Amino acid sequence: MLQNLSRLVTRAVTTSPPEVGQTPADVVHQENKWRLLRYRARKEGLVFETPILLVPSLINRHYVLDLMPGKSFVEWLVERGHDVYIIDWGTPTDEDRYLTFDDICDRYLGRALRVTNRLAGSEQAHVLGYCLGGTLTAIYAAAHESEGIASLLTLAAPIDFSDDGMLGAWTRVPSFDVSTLVAATGNVSWRLMQTAFHLLRPTMNLAKAVGVIDRAWDDRFLDGFFALETWSNDNVSFPGACYERYIQGLYRDNLLIQDRFSLSGRMARLSQITCPTMVVSFAHDMIVPEKSAKALHERIGATDRVHLHLPGGHVGAVVSRKASKGLWPQLAGFWEARDHLGRNEEATPEEQASEPGLRPHREKATDGLGVSA
Amino acid sequence: MTAFNPWESYKKLFYRWEATTATYLEQVLRNPLVLQPAGGMLTAVMKVKAATNKARTSWWGNMGLPTKHDQERTLHKLNQLESRLMDLEEKLAERS
Repeated sequence: MLQNLSRLVTRAVTTSPPEVGQTPADVVHQENKWRLLRYRARKEGLVFETPILLVPSLINRHYVLDLMPGKSFVEWLVERGHDVYIIDWGTPTDEDRYLTFDDICDRYLGRALRVTNRLAGSEQAHVLGYCLGGTLTAIYAAAHESEGIASLLTLAAPIDFSDDGMLGAWTRVPSFDVSTLVAATGNVSWRLMQTAFHLLRPTMNLAKAVGVIDRAWDDRFLDGFFALETWSNDNVSFPGACYERYIQGLYRDNLLIQDRFSLSGRMARLSQITCPTMVVSFAHDMIVPEKSAKALHERIGATDRVHLHLPGGHVGAVVSRKASKGLWPQLAGFWEARDHLGRNEEATPEEQASEPGLRPHREKATDGLGVSA
Repeated sequence: MTAFNPWESYKKLFYRWEATTATYLEQVLRNPLVLQPAGGMLTAVMKVKAATNKARTSWWGNMGLPTKHDQERTLHKLNQLESRLMDLEEKLAERS
Protein backbone atom coordinates (compact mmCIF):
# COMPACT_ATOMS: atom_id res chain seq x y z
CA MET A 1 0.00 0.00 0.00
CA LEU A 2 2.83 2.40 0.89
CA GLN A 3 4.47 1.60 -2.43
CA ASN A 4 1.23 2.40 -4.23
CA LEU A 5 0.84 5.62 -2.29
CA SER A 6 4.37 6.82 -3.07
CA ARG A 7 3.87 5.86 -6.72
CA LEU A 8 0.64 7.85 -6.83
CA VAL A 9 2.22 10.93 -5.23
CA THR A 10 5.26 10.75 -7.54
CA ARG A 11 3.00 10.41 -10.53
CA ALA A 12 0.79 13.33 -9.47
CA VAL A 13 3.79 15.59 -8.83
CA THR A 14 6.04 14.71 -11.76
CA THR A 15 3.62 14.02 -14.59
CA SER A 16 1.68 16.79 -16.31
CA PRO A 17 -2.09 16.39 -16.60
CA PRO A 18 -3.10 13.96 -19.35
CA GLU A 19 -4.00 15.26 -22.78
CA VAL A 20 -7.73 14.95 -23.31
CA GLY A 21 -9.91 15.22 -26.42
CA GLN A 22 -7.14 14.09 -28.77
CA THR A 23 -9.09 12.73 -31.74
CA PRO A 24 -8.37 15.08 -34.68
CA ALA A 25 -11.32 17.28 -35.58
CA ASP A 26 -12.16 20.41 -37.57
CA VAL A 27 -14.42 23.23 -36.48
CA VAL A 28 -17.13 23.31 -39.13
CA HIS A 29 -19.44 25.85 -37.53
CA GLN A 30 -19.08 28.50 -34.86
CA GLU A 31 -21.78 30.70 -33.36
CA ASN A 32 -21.60 32.73 -30.17
CA LYS A 33 -19.59 30.43 -27.84
CA TRP A 34 -20.58 27.05 -29.26
CA ARG A 35 -18.82 25.16 -32.02
CA LEU A 36 -19.63 22.15 -34.11
CA LEU A 37 -16.68 19.81 -34.55
CA ARG A 38 -16.37 17.19 -37.23
CA TYR A 39 -13.92 14.40 -36.53
CA ARG A 40 -11.58 13.50 -39.35
CA ALA A 41 -12.49 10.19 -40.92
CA ARG A 42 -10.11 7.26 -40.78
CA LYS A 43 -7.71 6.92 -43.73
CA GLU A 44 -9.70 4.08 -45.29
CA GLY A 45 -12.76 6.35 -45.56
CA LEU A 46 -16.29 6.13 -44.24
CA VAL A 47 -18.27 2.93 -44.07
CA PHE A 48 -21.61 4.29 -42.94
CA GLU A 49 -23.85 6.79 -44.73
CA THR A 50 -25.68 8.43 -41.87
CA PRO A 51 -23.68 10.93 -39.81
CA ILE A 52 -23.76 10.89 -36.03
CA LEU A 53 -24.28 14.08 -34.05
CA LEU A 54 -23.23 13.90 -30.40
CA VAL A 55 -24.84 16.38 -28.01
CA PRO A 56 -23.17 16.55 -24.59
CA SER A 57 -24.53 18.20 -21.48
CA LEU A 58 -24.50 21.99 -21.35
CA ILE A 59 -22.56 22.07 -18.11
CA ASN A 60 -19.80 19.59 -18.91
CA ARG A 61 -17.09 19.62 -21.53
CA HIS A 62 -17.75 17.69 -24.70
CA TYR A 63 -14.49 15.73 -24.47
CA VAL A 64 -15.99 13.28 -21.99
CA LEU A 65 -16.94 11.39 -25.16
CA ASP A 66 -13.37 11.72 -26.44
CA LEU A 67 -11.51 11.36 -23.17
CA MET A 68 -8.14 9.97 -24.26
CA PRO A 69 -6.76 7.56 -26.85
CA GLY A 70 -8.05 4.09 -26.07
CA LYS A 71 -10.82 5.46 -23.85
CA SER A 72 -12.62 7.55 -26.41
CA PHE A 73 -16.09 6.74 -27.73
CA VAL A 74 -15.51 9.17 -30.60
CA GLU A 75 -12.19 7.59 -31.59
CA TRP A 76 -13.83 4.17 -31.47
CA LEU A 77 -16.70 5.31 -33.73
CA VAL A 78 -14.34 6.98 -36.21
CA GLU A 79 -12.28 3.77 -36.38
CA ARG A 80 -15.44 1.85 -37.29
CA GLY A 81 -16.04 4.20 -40.23
CA HIS A 82 -18.63 6.64 -38.88
CA ASP A 83 -18.85 10.33 -39.76
CA VAL A 84 -18.95 11.88 -36.28
CA TYR A 85 -19.87 15.43 -35.23
CA ILE A 86 -20.03 16.85 -31.74
CA ILE A 87 -21.28 20.06 -30.19
CA ASP A 88 -18.80 21.89 -27.98
CA TRP A 89 -21.02 24.27 -26.03
CA GLY A 90 -18.04 26.43 -25.08
CA THR A 91 -17.84 28.68 -22.04
CA PRO A 92 -20.66 31.17 -21.55
CA THR A 93 -19.57 34.67 -20.61
CA ASP A 94 -21.52 37.32 -18.71
CA GLU A 95 -23.72 38.42 -21.64
CA ASP A 96 -24.95 34.85 -22.09
CA ARG A 97 -27.08 35.21 -18.97
CA TYR A 98 -29.85 36.23 -21.38
CA LEU A 99 -29.55 33.08 -23.50
CA THR A 100 -32.87 31.29 -23.30
CA PHE A 101 -33.71 27.60 -23.38
CA ASP A 102 -35.20 28.20 -26.85
CA ASP A 103 -31.95 29.78 -28.10
CA ILE A 104 -29.93 26.75 -27.07
CA CYS A 105 -32.35 23.88 -27.63
CA ASP A 106 -33.99 25.15 -30.80
CA ARG A 107 -31.75 27.64 -32.56
CA TYR A 108 -28.30 26.20 -31.70
CA LEU A 109 -29.15 22.51 -31.64
CA GLY A 110 -31.31 22.86 -34.75
CA ARG A 111 -28.47 24.59 -36.58
CA ALA A 112 -25.98 21.92 -35.49
CA LEU A 113 -28.28 19.24 -36.91
CA ARG A 114 -28.81 21.06 -40.19
CA VAL A 115 -25.09 21.78 -40.65
CA THR A 116 -24.30 18.13 -39.89
CA ASN A 117 -26.78 16.92 -42.51
CA ARG A 118 -25.62 19.45 -45.07
CA LEU A 119 -21.92 18.66 -44.68
CA ALA A 120 -22.52 14.92 -44.67
CA GLY A 121 -24.81 15.17 -47.71
CA SER A 122 -27.43 13.35 -45.71
CA GLU A 123 -31.15 13.84 -45.18
CA GLN A 124 -31.00 12.84 -41.55
CA ALA A 125 -28.48 12.23 -38.80
CA HIS A 126 -28.34 9.87 -35.87
CA VAL A 127 -28.49 12.07 -32.78
CA LEU A 128 -27.07 11.05 -29.40
CA GLY A 129 -27.76 13.18 -26.35
CA TYR A 130 -25.87 12.57 -23.14
CA CYS A 131 -27.37 13.67 -19.79
CA LEU A 132 -28.88 17.15 -20.23
CA GLY A 133 -27.88 16.89 -23.90
CA GLY A 134 -30.34 13.98 -24.09
CA THR A 135 -33.11 16.10 -22.62
CA LEU A 136 -32.37 18.83 -25.17
CA THR A 137 -32.38 16.39 -28.09
CA ALA A 138 -35.62 14.75 -26.93
CA ILE A 139 -37.32 18.14 -26.63
CA TYR A 140 -36.02 19.20 -30.04
CA ALA A 141 -37.15 15.94 -31.65
CA ALA A 142 -40.57 16.24 -30.03
CA ALA A 143 -41.09 19.86 -31.07
CA HIS A 144 -39.91 19.23 -34.64
CA GLU A 145 -41.56 15.82 -35.07
CA SER A 146 -38.12 14.17 -35.54
CA GLU A 147 -37.36 16.28 -38.62
CA GLY A 148 -33.78 15.72 -39.80
CA ILE A 149 -33.25 12.95 -37.22
CA ALA A 150 -32.66 9.39 -38.43
CA SER A 151 -32.64 8.03 -34.89
CA LEU A 152 -32.52 9.39 -31.37
CA LEU A 153 -30.35 7.90 -28.67
CA THR A 154 -30.45 9.27 -25.14
CA LEU A 155 -27.77 8.33 -22.61
CA ALA A 156 -28.73 8.89 -18.98
CA ALA A 157 -31.04 11.75 -19.94
CA PRO A 158 -33.63 13.02 -17.45
CA ILE A 159 -37.14 13.18 -18.94
CA ASP A 160 -39.55 12.61 -16.05
CA PHE A 161 -38.53 14.97 -13.29
CA SER A 162 -40.99 13.66 -10.74
CA ASP A 163 -38.44 11.08 -9.60
CA ASP A 164 -37.29 10.94 -6.01
CA GLY A 165 -33.66 11.72 -6.85
CA MET A 166 -31.68 14.11 -4.67
CA LEU A 167 -31.38 16.81 -7.33
CA GLY A 168 -35.15 16.81 -7.79
CA ALA A 169 -35.68 17.07 -4.04
CA TRP A 170 -33.30 20.04 -3.78
CA THR A 171 -34.66 22.02 -6.70
CA ARG A 172 -38.24 21.61 -5.47
CA VAL A 173 -37.59 23.14 -2.04
CA PRO A 174 -40.16 25.98 -1.84
CA SER A 175 -37.75 28.35 -0.10
CA PHE A 176 -35.27 28.10 -2.99
CA ASP A 177 -36.07 30.94 -5.39
CA VAL A 178 -34.50 30.22 -8.75
CA SER A 179 -35.29 33.70 -10.17
CA THR A 180 -33.43 35.39 -7.31
CA LEU A 181 -30.45 33.12 -7.87
CA VAL A 182 -30.32 34.01 -11.57
CA ALA A 183 -30.89 37.72 -10.90
CA ALA A 184 -27.96 37.72 -8.49
CA THR A 185 -25.46 35.58 -10.37
CA GLY A 186 -26.36 35.94 -14.05
CA ASN A 187 -24.98 32.64 -15.28
CA VAL A 188 -25.28 30.01 -12.59
CA SER A 189 -21.76 29.26 -11.45
CA TRP A 190 -20.28 25.83 -12.15
CA ARG A 191 -18.91 25.91 -8.59
CA LEU A 192 -22.44 25.95 -7.19
CA MET A 193 -23.46 23.05 -9.41
CA GLN A 194 -20.29 21.09 -8.68
CA THR A 195 -20.94 21.51 -4.95
CA ALA A 196 -24.42 20.12 -5.47
CA PHE A 197 -23.05 17.12 -7.38
CA HIS A 198 -20.51 16.47 -4.60
CA LEU A 199 -23.30 16.59 -2.04
CA LEU A 200 -25.08 13.75 -3.84
CA ARG A 201 -22.57 11.49 -2.09
CA PRO A 202 -20.28 13.58 0.12
CA THR A 203 -18.06 10.60 0.96
CA MET A 204 -17.40 9.84 -2.70
CA ASN A 205 -14.04 11.64 -2.84
CA LEU A 206 -12.73 9.66 0.12
CA ALA A 207 -13.87 6.40 -1.45
CA LYS A 208 -12.26 7.47 -4.70
CA ALA A 209 -8.97 8.15 -2.87
CA VAL A 210 -8.93 4.69 -1.29
CA GLY A 211 -9.77 3.11 -4.64
CA VAL A 212 -7.02 4.93 -6.48
CA ILE A 213 -4.36 4.07 -3.87
CA ASP A 214 -5.39 0.46 -4.23
CA ARG A 215 -4.82 0.49 -7.98
CA ALA A 216 -1.91 2.93 -8.21
CA TRP A 217 0.33 0.15 -9.54
CA ASP A 218 -1.68 0.17 -12.78
CA ASP A 219 -0.45 2.91 -15.14
CA ARG A 220 -3.37 2.53 -17.53
CA PHE A 221 -5.81 2.91 -14.68
CA LEU A 222 -3.99 6.04 -13.45
CA ASP A 223 -4.00 7.56 -16.95
CA GLY A 224 -7.76 7.11 -17.12
CA PHE A 225 -8.27 8.31 -13.57
CA PHE A 226 -6.35 11.55 -14.07
CA ALA A 227 -8.03 12.19 -17.42
CA LEU A 228 -11.46 11.75 -15.85
CA GLU A 229 -10.49 13.99 -12.92
CA THR A 230 -9.33 16.65 -15.41
CA TRP A 231 -12.72 16.46 -17.09
CA SER A 232 -14.78 16.42 -13.90
CA ASN A 233 -13.03 19.55 -12.61
CA ASP A 234 -13.42 21.41 -15.90
CA ASN A 235 -17.05 22.48 -15.74
CA VAL A 236 -19.09 25.20 -17.35
CA SER A 237 -21.53 27.69 -15.88
CA PHE A 238 -25.19 27.48 -16.91
CA PRO A 239 -26.62 30.43 -18.90
CA GLY A 240 -28.97 32.17 -16.44
CA ALA A 241 -32.25 32.48 -18.39
CA CYS A 242 -31.87 28.93 -19.69
CA TYR A 243 -31.24 27.60 -16.18
CA GLU A 244 -34.33 29.33 -14.84
CA ARG A 245 -36.58 27.70 -17.45
CA TYR A 246 -34.86 24.34 -17.01
CA ILE A 247 -35.41 24.30 -13.25
CA GLN A 248 -38.86 25.86 -13.29
CA GLY A 249 -40.32 24.18 -16.35
CA LEU A 250 -38.74 20.77 -16.03
CA TYR A 251 -37.57 20.05 -12.48
CA ARG A 252 -40.38 21.88 -10.71
CA ASP A 253 -43.38 21.81 -13.04
CA ASN A 254 -42.33 18.64 -14.90
CA LEU A 255 -43.99 19.99 -18.06
CA LEU A 256 -42.24 17.74 -20.58
CA ILE A 257 -43.78 14.51 -19.41
CA GLN A 258 -47.22 16.16 -19.34
CA ASP A 259 -46.83 17.34 -22.97
CA ARG A 260 -47.03 20.94 -21.79
CA PHE A 261 -43.48 22.06 -22.52
CA SER A 262 -43.06 24.38 -25.49
CA LEU A 263 -39.99 25.16 -27.56
CA SER A 264 -40.05 28.44 -29.49
CA GLY A 265 -43.85 28.34 -29.41
CA ARG A 266 -44.14 24.71 -30.60
CA MET A 267 -45.46 22.11 -28.19
CA ALA A 268 -42.88 19.43 -27.48
CA ARG A 269 -45.12 16.35 -27.29
CA LEU A 270 -43.09 13.22 -26.72
CA SER A 271 -45.60 11.21 -28.76
CA GLN A 272 -44.38 13.22 -31.76
CA ILE A 273 -41.02 11.47 -31.61
CA THR A 274 -41.49 8.87 -34.30
CA CYS A 275 -37.90 8.13 -35.30
CA PRO A 276 -36.22 4.95 -34.01
CA THR A 277 -35.20 5.61 -30.44
CA MET A 278 -32.88 4.00 -27.94
CA VAL A 279 -33.01 5.00 -24.29
CA VAL A 280 -30.10 4.06 -22.04
CA SER A 281 -30.21 4.25 -18.24
CA PHE A 282 -27.70 3.11 -15.63
CA ALA A 283 -28.36 1.15 -12.46
CA HIS A 284 -26.04 3.19 -10.22
CA ASP A 285 -26.76 6.61 -11.68
CA MET A 286 -27.22 9.03 -8.77
CA ILE A 287 -27.93 11.98 -11.07
CA VAL A 288 -30.55 10.49 -13.39
CA PRO A 289 -32.55 7.60 -11.88
CA GLU A 290 -33.84 4.89 -14.19
CA LYS A 291 -37.43 6.04 -13.85
CA SER A 292 -36.56 9.51 -15.08
CA ALA A 293 -34.67 8.31 -18.16
CA LYS A 294 -36.99 5.41 -19.01
CA ALA A 295 -40.02 7.69 -19.28
CA LEU A 296 -38.96 8.64 -22.81
CA HIS A 297 -39.19 5.02 -23.93
CA GLU A 298 -42.72 4.79 -22.55
CA ARG A 299 -44.07 8.03 -23.99
CA ILE A 300 -42.72 8.34 -27.52
CA GLY A 301 -44.72 7.56 -30.65
CA ALA A 302 -41.97 5.51 -32.28
CA THR A 303 -42.65 1.82 -32.80
CA ASP A 304 -38.95 1.09 -33.23
CA ARG A 305 -37.72 1.72 -29.69
CA VAL A 306 -35.28 0.09 -27.33
CA HIS A 307 -34.54 0.54 -23.64
CA LEU A 308 -31.21 -0.57 -22.25
CA HIS A 309 -30.69 -0.64 -18.52
CA LEU A 310 -27.05 -1.34 -17.74
CA PRO A 311 -24.91 -1.58 -14.64
CA GLY A 312 -22.64 1.37 -13.86
CA GLY A 313 -22.84 5.03 -12.95
CA HIS A 314 -23.64 8.23 -14.80
CA VAL A 315 -20.12 8.76 -16.17
CA GLY A 316 -18.20 5.55 -15.47
CA ALA A 317 -20.53 3.41 -17.54
CA VAL A 318 -19.96 5.61 -20.59
CA VAL A 319 -16.20 6.14 -20.49
CA SER A 320 -14.79 3.09 -18.71
CA ARG A 321 -12.72 0.40 -20.40
CA LYS A 322 -15.71 -1.91 -19.97
CA ALA A 323 -17.84 0.47 -22.05
CA SER A 324 -15.78 -0.25 -25.16
CA LYS A 325 -16.83 -3.90 -24.94
CA GLY A 326 -20.35 -3.49 -23.58
CA LEU A 327 -22.10 -0.18 -24.12
CA TRP A 328 -20.37 1.20 -27.23
CA PRO A 329 -20.96 -1.84 -29.48
CA GLN A 330 -24.65 -1.77 -28.52
CA LEU A 331 -24.97 1.90 -29.44
CA ALA A 332 -23.08 1.45 -32.71
CA GLY A 333 -25.12 -1.67 -33.50
CA PHE A 334 -28.33 0.36 -33.11
CA TRP A 335 -27.08 2.97 -35.59
CA GLU A 336 -25.53 0.55 -38.02
CA ALA A 337 -28.75 -1.44 -38.34
CA ARG A 338 -30.50 1.81 -39.30
CA ASP A 339 -27.79 3.29 -41.49
CA HIS A 340 -30.03 3.56 -44.56
CA LEU A 341 -32.28 6.10 -42.82
CA GLY A 342 -30.06 9.09 -43.54
CA ARG A 343 -29.67 8.30 -47.24
CA ASN A 344 -30.06 11.31 -49.48
CA GLU A 345 -32.32 10.12 -52.31
CA GLU A 346 -31.63 13.33 -54.20
CA ALA A 347 -27.87 12.80 -54.20
CA THR A 348 -26.12 13.45 -57.51
CA PRO A 349 -25.12 10.42 -59.62
CA GLU A 350 -21.48 10.99 -58.64
CA GLU A 351 -22.39 10.90 -54.99
CA GLN A 352 -24.59 7.83 -55.47
CA ALA A 353 -21.83 6.03 -57.36
CA SER A 354 -19.62 6.27 -54.34
CA GLU A 355 -22.31 5.16 -51.91
CA PRO A 356 -21.97 1.40 -51.54
CA GLY A 357 -19.06 0.53 -49.35
CA LEU A 358 -16.62 3.29 -48.71
CA ARG A 359 -17.47 6.90 -49.41
CA PRO A 360 -14.58 9.30 -49.79
CA HIS A 361 -14.32 11.73 -46.94
CA ARG A 362 -14.27 15.42 -47.64
CA GLU A 363 -10.90 16.47 -46.33
CA LYS A 364 -12.06 20.04 -45.98
CA ALA A 365 -15.68 20.99 -45.48
CA THR A 366 -16.66 23.38 -48.26
CA ASP A 367 -18.38 25.85 -46.00
CA GLY A 368 -16.66 24.96 -42.77
CA LEU A 369 -14.23 27.20 -41.04
CA GLY A 370 -11.49 24.68 -41.55
CA VAL A 371 -9.99 25.45 -38.18
CA SER A 372 -8.32 22.61 -36.40
CA ALA A 373 -9.92 21.94 -33.03
CA MET B 1 -3.70 -19.50 7.04
CA THR B 2 -3.43 -16.13 5.34
CA ALA B 3 -1.22 -13.38 6.71
CA PHE B 4 -2.88 -10.37 8.32
CA ASN B 5 -2.95 -7.48 5.88
CA PRO B 6 -3.64 -4.16 7.65
CA TRP B 7 -4.49 -2.34 4.39
CA GLU B 8 -7.11 -4.92 3.42
CA SER B 9 -8.62 -4.74 6.92
CA TYR B 10 -8.62 -0.97 6.76
CA LYS B 11 -10.36 -1.03 3.38
CA LYS B 12 -13.09 -3.34 4.65
CA LEU B 13 -13.76 -1.09 7.60
CA PHE B 14 -13.54 2.04 5.47
CA TYR B 15 -16.04 0.86 2.87
CA ARG B 16 -18.44 -0.21 5.61
CA TRP B 17 -18.13 3.22 7.23
CA GLU B 18 -18.46 4.97 3.83
CA ALA B 19 -21.67 3.14 2.93
CA THR B 20 -23.25 3.82 6.33
CA THR B 21 -22.20 7.47 6.35
CA ALA B 22 -23.39 8.05 2.79
CA THR B 23 -26.81 6.58 3.60
CA TYR B 24 -27.08 8.70 6.74
CA LEU B 25 -26.01 11.88 4.93
CA GLU B 26 -28.51 11.20 2.16
CA GLN B 27 -31.29 11.07 4.74
CA VAL B 28 -30.06 14.32 6.26
CA LEU B 29 -29.77 16.05 2.89
CA ARG B 30 -33.29 14.99 1.90
CA ASN B 31 -34.85 16.11 5.15
CA PRO B 32 -37.18 19.11 4.71
CA LEU B 33 -36.01 20.35 8.11
CA VAL B 34 -32.56 20.78 6.56
CA LEU B 35 -33.55 21.71 3.01
CA GLN B 36 -36.09 24.38 3.85
CA PRO B 37 -33.72 26.59 5.89
CA ALA B 38 -30.81 25.87 3.51
CA GLY B 39 -32.92 26.99 0.53
CA GLY B 40 -34.08 30.03 2.46
CA MET B 41 -30.50 30.94 3.37
CA LEU B 42 -29.30 30.62 -0.23
CA THR B 43 -32.19 32.78 -1.41
CA ALA B 44 -31.49 35.40 1.27
CA VAL B 45 -27.80 35.58 0.32
CA MET B 46 -28.76 35.91 -3.33
CA LYS B 47 -31.28 38.66 -2.55
CA VAL B 48 -28.56 40.64 -0.78
CA LYS B 49 -26.20 40.08 -3.71
CA ALA B 50 -28.87 41.18 -6.21
CA ALA B 51 -29.70 44.29 -4.16
CA THR B 52 -26.01 45.19 -3.85
CA ASN B 53 -25.53 44.76 -7.61
CA LYS B 54 -28.59 46.91 -8.26
CA ALA B 55 -27.42 49.70 -5.96
CA ARG B 56 -23.95 49.71 -7.49
CA THR B 57 -25.38 49.68 -11.01
CA SER B 58 -27.81 52.54 -10.39
CA TRP B 59 -25.03 54.67 -8.84
CA TRP B 60 -22.87 54.04 -11.91
CA GLY B 61 -25.80 54.57 -14.29
CA ASN B 62 -26.77 57.85 -12.63
CA MET B 63 -23.40 59.24 -13.67
CA GLY B 64 -24.44 58.55 -17.27
CA LEU B 65 -22.01 55.66 -17.67
CA PRO B 66 -22.88 52.35 -19.30
CA THR B 67 -23.37 49.70 -16.68
CA LYS B 68 -22.19 46.08 -16.81
CA HIS B 69 -25.78 45.07 -17.58
CA ASP B 70 -25.95 47.59 -20.44
CA GLN B 71 -22.84 46.07 -21.94
CA GLU B 72 -24.12 42.53 -21.41
CA ARG B 73 -27.41 43.38 -23.09
CA THR B 74 -25.61 44.99 -26.05
CA LEU B 75 -23.29 42.03 -26.53
CA HIS B 76 -26.22 39.65 -26.25
CA LYS B 77 -28.11 41.61 -28.93
CA LEU B 78 -25.05 41.44 -31.19
CA ASN B 79 -24.89 37.69 -30.70
CA GLN B 80 -28.59 37.42 -31.50
CA LEU B 81 -28.08 39.50 -34.61
CA GLU B 82 -25.30 37.17 -35.73
CA SER B 83 -27.62 34.20 -35.22
CA ARG B 84 -30.42 35.85 -37.20
CA LEU B 85 -27.99 36.51 -40.06
CA MET B 86 -27.08 32.83 -40.02
CA ASP B 87 -30.79 31.98 -40.16
CA LEU B 88 -31.14 34.19 -43.22
CA GLU B 89 -28.09 32.64 -44.87
CA GLU B 90 -29.60 29.21 -44.35
CA LYS B 91 -32.91 30.31 -45.88
CA LEU B 92 -31.13 31.85 -48.86
CA ALA B 93 -29.09 28.69 -49.36
CA GLU B 94 -32.29 26.61 -49.28
CA ARG B 95 -33.89 28.75 -51.99
CA SER B 96 -30.88 28.90 -54.29
